Amino acid sequence: MAPTLPSSDQASDQDNWDNGRLARKRQLLIEIVLRNRLTALVVDGDTTCRVLEQLLLRSYGVQTQGVDNGRDAVALIASGVKFDLIIIDMILPVLNGLEATRQIRDMGVHCKMLGVTICSGESERQVFLAAGVDVFIEKPLDPEHLVPILRELDGQ
Amino acid sequence: MDLAALKTQLKNFVQSMFEEGVLDNQFSQIQALQDSTNPNFVEEVITLFCNDAERIINEINRNLGYQNVDFSNLDSYVHQLKGSSSSIGANRLKLACANLRQASDERNKEGCLQALQLITCEYCLLRRKFQALLHLERSIVELETNQK
Repeated sequence: MAPTLPSSDQASDQDNWDNGRLARKRQLLIEIVLRNRLTALVVDGDTTCRVLEQLLLRSYGVQTQGVDNGRDAVALIASGVKFDLIIIDMILPVLNGLEATRQIRDMGVHCKMLGVTICSGESERQVFLAAGVDVFIEKPLDPEHLVPILRELDGQ
Repeated sequence: MDLAALKTQLKNFVQSMFEEGVLDNQFSQIQALQDSTNPNFVEEVITLFCNDAERIINEINRNLGYQNVDFSNLDSYVHQLKGSSSSIGANRLKLACANLRQASDERNKEGCLQALQLITCEYCLLRRKFQALLHLERSIVELETNQK
C-alpha cells in the first residue's frame, strides 16, 4: 500500500509536535559548542547514573570513560590516562569516593573534579571538598551545573 | 488511532506522571537526550533503571530478613537506589528512599521494613506507568515506520 501524505491539519500537528520537542530540547540541554576536544572520567557505582552522566557529557561532545568503583578510577589515573574532568560519586564500591579523590589528588592530578552525589548535607559537602573535589553537586547532574564548567574548561 | 493522536496521548500521559509527582523535570532531560543518533534511548534507560531497581530492592529485602541487619550494607543499597531514582526523575521513589535512609541511619529495623514497603509500592506504580509509556512509544515508532 503506497504511503499517503498527511492532510494539512495532520502535517501541522506533527510539525508542531516536532518543533515543540526540538525547542524544548534546546531549552533543556542549553546548547553550547565546544572548541576543544574535552575528556571526562565518570566514576559511579550505579549503572543508570553512570550511563546518564556519560550520555549527557557526550551530548556536548565530551569524550568519556566510565568506571564503577573507586579502585579502578585510581588505577586508571595511575596508569597515566589524563582527563580534563573527573565526575565522582561519594559512595562507591571497593574504594569509596572520598579516599579515591584523595589518592587521585595525591598523585598530583590537578584536573577539575566534580563530586556528584545523592548526599546533600553540609557536612558531606565539606568532607568531599576537603578530600579534593572542586565542586559539590547534588544528583542528578544537570546542564545548569555542567555547562558553565564545560565552558570554563573549554576556555570560553 | 492516528499518529498525531498517539503522540498527544503520550504527551498527556507523561504530563500526568509529572502532575502526580511520579516523575520530575529530570525525566524531561532524559527525553531531550533522545534523538536520531539515540532513537531508543528512553526505552534503554528505563529498562536499565528497572533492572537495577528490582535487583536493589530484592537485596534490601534480603538484608532486612536477617536477624542482625548489616546497616552499612543497607546504606550503600539505599544510596544506589536513591541515586538512580534521582537521575531518571523518579521523584516519588526518590522520596521513599529518603525514608529508608533515615530509618537505616537510626538503625531502626521496623522503620526500615515499613519504608521498604512504601518503596516497593512506589516502584510497582512507576514500573506500570513506564510500561504504558513504552507501549505508547513503540506504537508511535511502528506507525511512523509504516508511514515511510
